[in-house]
Amino acid sequence: MLQKLRENKSLQGTLLILPTLLWMISLLIVPLILSVITSFGRRDADGNVIYTFTLDNYLRLAGFTPAGFDDLYLQILWRSLTLAFQTTVLVILMAYPLAYFVARAPVKWRNTFLFLILVPLWTNFVIRIYAWIMILRTQGVLNGLLGWGAGLFGQPFKPFDFYPSSGAVLVGMVYEFLPFMILPIYTSLEKIDGSLYEAAADLGANAIKTLLRVTLPLSMPGIVAGTILVFIPVMGTFVVSDILGGRQVILVGNLIQRQFLDARDPAFGSASSIILMVLTLIVTIFYTRKFGFGEEIASA
Amino acid sequence: MSNSRTNVWRGLAAIAAASLMLAACGGGATPAPAAKTTSTGFVCPEASPKMEVTSQELNLFVWTEYIPQDTIECFELVYGIKVNRDEYSSNEEMYAKLSAGSTSYDLVQPTDYIVSLMIRQGLLQKLDKSKLQVMSNFDPNYLNFSFDPGNEYTIPYQAGTDAIVVNTEKVTNVPKSWADLWKPEYAGRMVFLDDSRATIGMVLLTLGYDANTKDPAQLEEAKNKLKELVANVKLFDSDSPKTALIAGDVDLGMTWTGEAFLAQIENPAIQYIYPTEGAILWQDNYAMPVGAPHVDAAYAWLNYSMQGNVFWLMLRDFPYTNPNKAALDYAKGDTTTKVTDQNGNEVTPADIYNAYFNSPITNTPPEAIQNGHRIDDVGDALPLYDQIWTEVKGG
Amino acid sequence: MSNRRSPLVIVSALLVYFFLYAPIVVLVVFAFNSSRTNIVFEGVVNQGPCGPFYWFCKLFDNNEVLNAAKNTLTIAFTSTVVSCIIGTMAALALQRYTFPVKTASEAALYIPIVIPEIVMGIGILVLFSALFTWINVTFGLTGDARFSLGLATVIVSHIAFSIPFVTLVVRARLHGFDKAVEEAAMDLGANEFVTFWRITLPIIFPGVLSGALLAFTLSLDDFIITFFTNGPGSTTLPIYVYGLLRRIITPEVNALSTVWILTVLIAVFISQRLESREV
Repeated sequence: MLQKLRENKSLQGTLLILPTLLWMISLLIVPLILSVITSFGRRDADGNVIYTFTLDNYLRLAGFTPAGFDDLYLQILWRSLTLAFQTTVLVILMAYPLAYFVARAPVKWRNTFLFLILVPLWTNFVIRIYAWIMILRTQGVLNGLLGWGAGLFGQPFKPFDFYPSSGAVLVGMVYEFLPFMILPIYTSLEKIDGSLYEAAADLGANAIKTLLRVTLPLSMPGIVAGTILVFIPVMGTFVVSDILGGRQVILVGNLIQRQFLDARDPAFGSASSIILMVLTLIVTIFYTRKFGFGEEIASA
Repeated sequence: MSNSRTNVWRGLAAIAAASLMLAACGGGATPAPAAKTTSTGFVCPEASPKMEVTSQELNLFVWTEYIPQDTIECFELVYGIKVNRDEYSSNEEMYAKLSAGSTSYDLVQPTDYIVSLMIRQGLLQKLDKSKLQVMSNFDPNYLNFSFDPGNEYTIPYQAGTDAIVVNTEKVTNVPKSWADLWKPEYAGRMVFLDDSRATIGMVLLTLGYDANTKDPAQLEEAKNKLKELVANVKLFDSDSPKTALIAGDVDLGMTWTGEAFLAQIENPAIQYIYPTEGAILWQDNYAMPVGAPHVDAAYAWLNYSMQGNVFWLMLRDFPYTNPNKAALDYAKGDTTTKVTDQNGNEVTPADIYNAYFNSPITNTPPEAIQNGHRIDDVGDALPLYDQIWTEVKGG
Repeated sequence: MSNRRSPLVIVSALLVYFFLYAPIVVLVVFAFNSSRTNIVFEGVVNQGPCGPFYWFCKLFDNNEVLNAAKNTLTIAFTSTVVSCIIGTMAALALQRYTFPVKTASEAALYIPIVIPEIVMGIGILVLFSALFTWINVTFGLTGDARFSLGLATVIVSHIAFSIPFVTLVVRARLHGFDKAVEEAAMDLGANEFVTFWRITLPIIFPGVLSGALLAFTLSLDDFIITFFTNGPGSTTLPIYVYGLLRRIITPEVNALSTVWILTVLIAVFISQRLESREV
């Protein structure tokens, strides 16, 4: 029987994926199906779902209300997409040097540097955001430092309004998701054989050339993985935009959260969730199709 | 390579061991001493009446930081029942969890506006008044509201208001009404509640409408008026508006009783003003969900924690309006026992009572109550309110 | 010349570390704040027998926080271990084999990443409630013998959202994996399990470790899903802290964060010393 298992590759694969499937189907597919069904429903006076079939929720999201065209929700979607894109780009720019540094550090120090990156993540998420408020607020650390600096030069100083603002939200998002990009990039950089760099140097490539033609392509799988780990959650986050935006920056995540709690409109909330999921899936599929899983570029 | 891997595992094990050691110390049960005293030295009163309870545990689903630690410890000592406390920070979270099917809780603390909804949805069970000797402790002014006529499902816990808060050091022209807050001189200096019902309700009041209207035309008017206001609001906060006030991010705005009181302690220049159109009144209550597994323990808890000589601890720990007359009388009458208040001062319960009584924040003036408005459930108009909120903030 | 020690890289890296730690430093400093409302720093606290460490001592007296910390760690460790095993298996399956449900599995693995947490949280709650009601009724369970939400339901939910992240990271590591090494081992007589344990696993280990760290981090901070799937007595730190925002975040919470960071830093330091001794 073991021999049969040895020979049947397909069976091996299936057995390996079985626990995952078990978890995904029971805990995720079912809520997802429930969500889809609910999204076509309506809300009764008390906030319960009337299971019927109507496209009203989706139409409302797209802006087609009985009262005329209202692009409120489209604006929110666009704002979320823009923020997610900006965050991802910034995160890649900041994560790469650090991941590179750790990957090329002496072997015995690598894990230490890695842990040092993660340690801030192991304080509580909300507390970290509040710490940023303490830094960015009108009488916070940053304005304090700037004021002191201005004093040194004898300049008058009016504190900046760093918080609350959409800029503060961006800073918060970048801060929260940076480690999720560092880890995957590090993982694929670490795999690169050091001798490749020496070979490139022998062939006359300078630092920039090596980066562009050797390092970057080989680390694409990491960048792709990291992008997925950052872009998608940013689309759905609401805590950062809530707190650092003074609750005036409304993203898709905030919208969905509100529907299930404050507005008690699970039908509209489900429709918003489905749209969010579809949107992020489209972006992800388009992205992985263009860059593959990074392997075509890596093996080129 | 395998060496570094071994050491990573060692490192992980070290973290695991250290963290578990850390978590292990202090997580255990305190042994019951002979005289019933809590860890802060508070002497636990006897339960009167002492009830017959067979349950070993009690599951509370309550607001964060809303029950004195001494009360919980005393109940555990007096009755030998373990108290499990799960917490929430908004009525909506509590409602969502209960209506999705969570049935392990014995008591919850809904605010007035969500009670009628919960009753309609069949989430609450009727209270057996014969088991609630503590009913006579309450000030009748806090009973028999329209959200629960006859108090069949709820008993009052704490009450309060939403009104205007001002830092008089920074604001020379103190506002007297909600409508005053639209003045351009306050632009960019205000904090408002991130609560669509309370804030939109407030706007409706300035227009002379009912704070619980379902009329789309009135709501549309309110939306436009709110848009003007939002342009001047620096931030919305329903978690801790006092933070922005104390830190100097904002100079005035809308907040509630507890926040205003605490802000005033930090900065005595901060004042709480009941607007001419009327403040918003609210009340938190105890209710028993359907399917509560330890009903007898729940009644024991209600009777014990709301005894005058136990419930007065709320005065010591939380600055809200207290509907429990027995507790107020008890505190007023005790001029000898020394207790430590929230700021570390040594005072008597009578001192605490006097501070409570003399503050117009906690001891709401009768005119403010007369003039006030209560937020109520608006049924199918709720998505309208939410749409306005999303549009005004997100646009 | 290799750009290993390029000053540009080192400076950038240091700047990013600085960015990562700036709020942490603020956090730690405020753990010594004399103001209970902890909004403005009003000088170093000096109260009671512990003096400047007043809030740290208060922390160890606070059973609620410590209980929440214990629950949080239990959930995090358990869900990390399980999701790592399952996730690595899944990564191997998807990278190396073809089987009928392969595309469906890949799609399914994206769901926890794209699904909004509140949808997942409420969905799982509804599911568990229906399941437990059926079990309790069918087997006639009453009172405290009933199946209900608690630590177990939270752990199961955490595993669900951790698996895809582990799988993703391990897959990235498995790319370009040269099977020649494995084949050589098998030629020398090792069976599949030995080959996996002594050849494959060490090579993909950084990926598995990254996945484990990701899963641990996700679990430590999870609020929404935990809120909906937990039961009495299984409160976690994020829930406790998030709720505290409604009232006051006393410096006690900062003290907790400081203690936590110190613990981890010490463990990292110890691990580093052990490693240098091996060399």
